[in-house]
Amino acid sequence: MTKRIFWHIFVVAVIVLVASVAMIVGALYEYYSSQYISQLKNEAVYISQGMEENNNYLKNLHNKTDNTRITWINSSGAVLYDNTADAAKMENHSNREEFVEAMTSGQGESIRYSKTLSEDTIYYATKLSNGTVLRVSSTKHSLLALVYGMLRYIILILLCAIALSAFLAYSVSKRIVRPLNELDFDYPEEAVTYEELSPMLARISKQNKQIHAQMAELERKQHEFSTIIENMKEGLLIVDKKTDILSYNTSAINLLGASESVKNKSALTLNRSGSFRKAIELSLSGQHNEQTMFYGGRTYKLMSNPVYEKAQVVGAIIIIMDVSEKEEREKLRREFTANVSHELKTPLTSISGYAEIIKNGIAKPEDTKNFAANIYEESQRLIMLIEDIIKLSQLDENTTLFEKQEVNLADIAESVCARLKPEADKKRVSIELDAQKLSVSGVYKILDEMVYNLVDNAIKYNIDGGRVKVKIENNNTGVMLSVEDSGIGIAADEADRVFERFYRVDKSHSKEITGTGLGLSIVKHAAIYHDAKISLSSKLGAGTKVSIQFKQV
Amino acid sequence: MRNKFDEQLENLNLELIKMGALCEDAITASMRALLDGDNDMIIKTTEIEKEIDDKERYIEALCMKLLLKQQPVASDLRLISSALKMISDMERIGDQAADIAEITKFIKNNNTKSILHIKDMADAAIKMVTDSIDSYVKKDLALAKYVMQYDDVVDKLFSEVRKELIVLVYQNQRYGELCLDILMIAKYLERIGDHAVNIAEWVEYSITGNHKSYED
Repeated sequence: MTKRIFWHIFVVAVIVLVASVAMIVGALYEYYSSQYISQLKNEAVYISQGMEENNNYLKNLHNKTDNTRITWINSSGAVLYDNTADAAKMENHSNREEFVEAMTSGQGESIRYSKTLSEDTIYYATKLSNGTVLRVSSTKHSLLALVYGMLRYIILILLCAIALSAFLAYSVSKRIVRPLNELDFDYPEEAVTYEELSPMLARISKQNKQIHAQMAELERKQHEFSTIIENMKEGLLIVDKKTDILSYNTSAINLLGASESVKNKSALTLNRSGSFRKAIELSLSGQHNEQTMFYGGRTYKLMSNPVYEKAQVVGAIIIIMDVSEKEEREKLRREFTANVSHELKTPLTSISGYAEIIKNGIAKPEDTKNFAANIYEESQRLIMLIEDIIKLSQLDENTTLFEKQEVNLADIAESVCARLKPEADKKRVSIELDAQKLSVSGVYKILDEMVYNLVDNAIKYNIDGGRVKVKIENNNTGVMLSVEDSGIGIAADEADRVFERFYRVDKSHSKEITGTGLGLSIVKHAAIYHDAKISLSSKLGAGTKVSIQFKQV
Repeated sequence: MRNKFDEQLENLNLELIKMGALCEDAITASMRALLDGDNDMIIKTTEIEKEIDDKERYIEALCMKLLLKQQPVASDLRLISSALKMISDMERIGDQAADIAEITKFIKNNNTKSILHIKDMADAAIKMVTDSIDSYVKKDLALAKYVMQYDDVVDKLFSEVRKELIVLVYQNQRYGELCLDILMIAKYLERIGDHAVNIAEWVEYSITGNHKSYED
């Protein structure tokens, strides 16, 4: 803009300058010409006056003028005298314009241009009283020659003027533009500038505010969005058609085990396992799909969706979920179902078998009683199993809305020991009870079941003539119940698994030791129900100690 | 123009990663065929091997196109030339995985293989391939060097497996055929390790401009 203004001013200045110089020169020339002619006239008057008084006037004048040519012509046109040439050799002047004019009207003038010399010759003729004509002529430079002669000065002046106008144009244009340059577009309404601009500035200011508001809104939304995806436990990846990552959250990076920033890198640099590739490939071809990926010992679920824009797939959104625990639980559930069906089926098969024998009359009458006893035993086992399962599922569901009350653990232990005395006697196991009268807040029935299972196990998995020690004490953290036996013990690698449902150290599920495999599982759930901590220490062949640590009330 | 070139380089990079991933899949599948006796995996391995071959041709054409049309220099040129070398190593890895799967067909389900160190060897070879591809993906020079050194582990395991096989045949001649098959597989695994080292060397070359074979 500065440039443009500068050039405009400058060109205008130069044009005006040149035009005025031309006009001034023209006017001056006119003035100078007229001065010249009147001077010539005066000269002619003086000379003619001189000649009227003195005939030798011209001769005396000879060679005393240098610029003025004086010619005396008689009435027929013959030259009588000329101060610059030989009069005798000169041609007749009768047809010269100024001569003819002078002869008729007393005086005449003419200007003749000489092209070669670029000079004008001005002639002035006046008729004397004796009928002769005196002609005075003088040469003056033509306009062109004048200009040419003054060219140096003119150019010098023009140059000076152009330089001056350039300088002025520059500073003026600067000044015009300066307020525009100094405009602060953040606060346009505060700027002091041309009033012609104020509508525009007002508008800019309005739009500024609008833009700021929109930016703030956008930022807020962006922030909202990133907060949401950052706090997602699931990993989120957004990739474009070339599988370059456009957006991701920290969870995705953690789940896929990347270390640095991955933006604009290909998703395949993060992970290139088959299912991951397949998830991306399928979604980029426009198919929603779910994949399971195993990576680093964990199981992930990939949910991949294509992103459409104008009916064209432009990218994909991949959600990564760690489903390891879920898978684990699923596995346990499947195992449990399989175990339950197996455990339920075994006694039923025997019952059905014995019943069939009796039905078909194959059994001898004296054996029938035996078979009936077997059927009874098996059905008892079945009932026990089902009861255990019900107990477990009740504890599991946490639906047993028994009211918690103060329960004396020592009482329970005593009653359990008394109930199990016959069993213990059968195996010649001695039970030692070392119980302080301590109470915990809990459900009597569940606690009783728990202690019963523990002591029962201690007897069952004991050696012949072993001993069981039940102890209830108060340590720093609260009431602790421990059941210790001198039994067969559990191997270290199995110690964690004994609390699993249907897990039995004896894999053959033998009937040698009766049991459902649910006892310790019930103990564990009962402990959890009472917010107690269960711990197990055991040494193969030396015995097992199970401790339940209740919390301080 | 340059933009297009960058895009093509990016594409080359991506294809190489995909090809590397296919190699990993191929060995893993062939090992599952061997160790788990999963016969579907034999077919899968041969399928992956074909896919690897296709990928090799595709990447080769891509490299040629890049070389002819873009006339790359300096690190770009190194990247493309090392890509050309890497794909032939990857292709060999694919072939060897397919060969292992082929041999697996003739190995009857036998628990003998589980007592040998062949599983360790397979794990080591797979780790080498994975690491070499990782070093390419992450442009990780240290990892590439680690792969070169890790070759010793595979070599050691190979001689161990060899010794075990000798003892086995000595004890029972019945195992002769099995032992020969397993020896072949072990050799293939050892070769896969070597190819992984080659890949790592080309990764080093593409990063630093130095290649082992040019030194000294």
